[in-house]
Amino acid sequence: MEPSTVWAPRVLSVLRIVVGLVLLQYGLAKLFGWPAVKMFQDLPWLSLFGIAGMFELIGGTLLILGLFTRPAAFILSGEMAAAYFIEHFPRSFFPIQSEGDLAVTLCFTFLYLSFAGGGPLSLDALLLSKANLRPDMSRG
Amino acid sequence: MNSILATPYGLSLLSILRIFTGLSLLQHGTAKILGFPATPMFSNVQITSLTGLGGLIELVGGILFTIGLFTRPVAFILSGFTAVAYFMAHASKSFFPVLNGGELAALYCFVFLYFVFAGAGPWSVDAIRERK
Repeated sequence: MEPSTVWAPRVLSVLRIVVGLVLLQYGLAKLFGWPAVKMFQDLPWLSLFGIAGMFELIGGTLLILGLFTRPAAFILSGEMAAAYFIEHFPRSFFPIQSEGDLAVTLCFTFLYLSFAGGGPLSLDALLLSKANLRPDMSRG
Repeated sequence: MNSILATPYGLSLLSILRIFTGLSLLQHGTAKILGFPATPMFSNVQITSLTGLGGLIELVGGILFTIGLFTRPVAFILSGFTAVAYFMAHASKSFFPVLNGGELAALYCFVFLYFVFAGAGPWSVDAIRERK
């Protein structure tokens, strides 16, 4: 079944923004303690969790803006895979028991975004359309 | 930007995302209805309770979504279902998903919403049925 050519890219952008927001709050919680999550209180920035927080803060912001969506999503997909196998997988094979379902779903959503791009509502699309404008103008 | 989705890799990845999201949802259904994988929170769930009905939707929807049969209508129902789950079970605890435990429900909701518009991709029963 072919994707709807008008609405599928638009909803892809909406999905990208929501995923970015979900990720951004983890970055904020780990590095700045807001929203206050007990588990992430007083994390040193250079711990494993702190560095993950930096990925989530910067990557989440880039995804929300839709700037460098593909490379950012590719790196985040790897981060989520690492998070799943370091933090969750040792506890149980099943994500529902190891509480890794979010990491798995995020990992594959990012992997998809790294191939599909950010959709029309993104800075990437804005920059691309500006870049495409130039040859048209020179043609007159 | 619409040409990006038409690349073969993009469409295959769409199917991979569908399969893993479906499997991830399915285990919530099997945990509630069949008690496997054993989850303390979902032991002894009555099928006719709200959680049990949610489990039925997750079980049937998860199977259909994983194999990619009737993907668009199933995704539409699951998107609404996860939105209800978010607002009933999680939103009252805190505004922030990271504090109310609802980020998975929120993420599911928008992934399913995307599949309503994007369809199942090439690796699906829908695609096989269309080819015939």
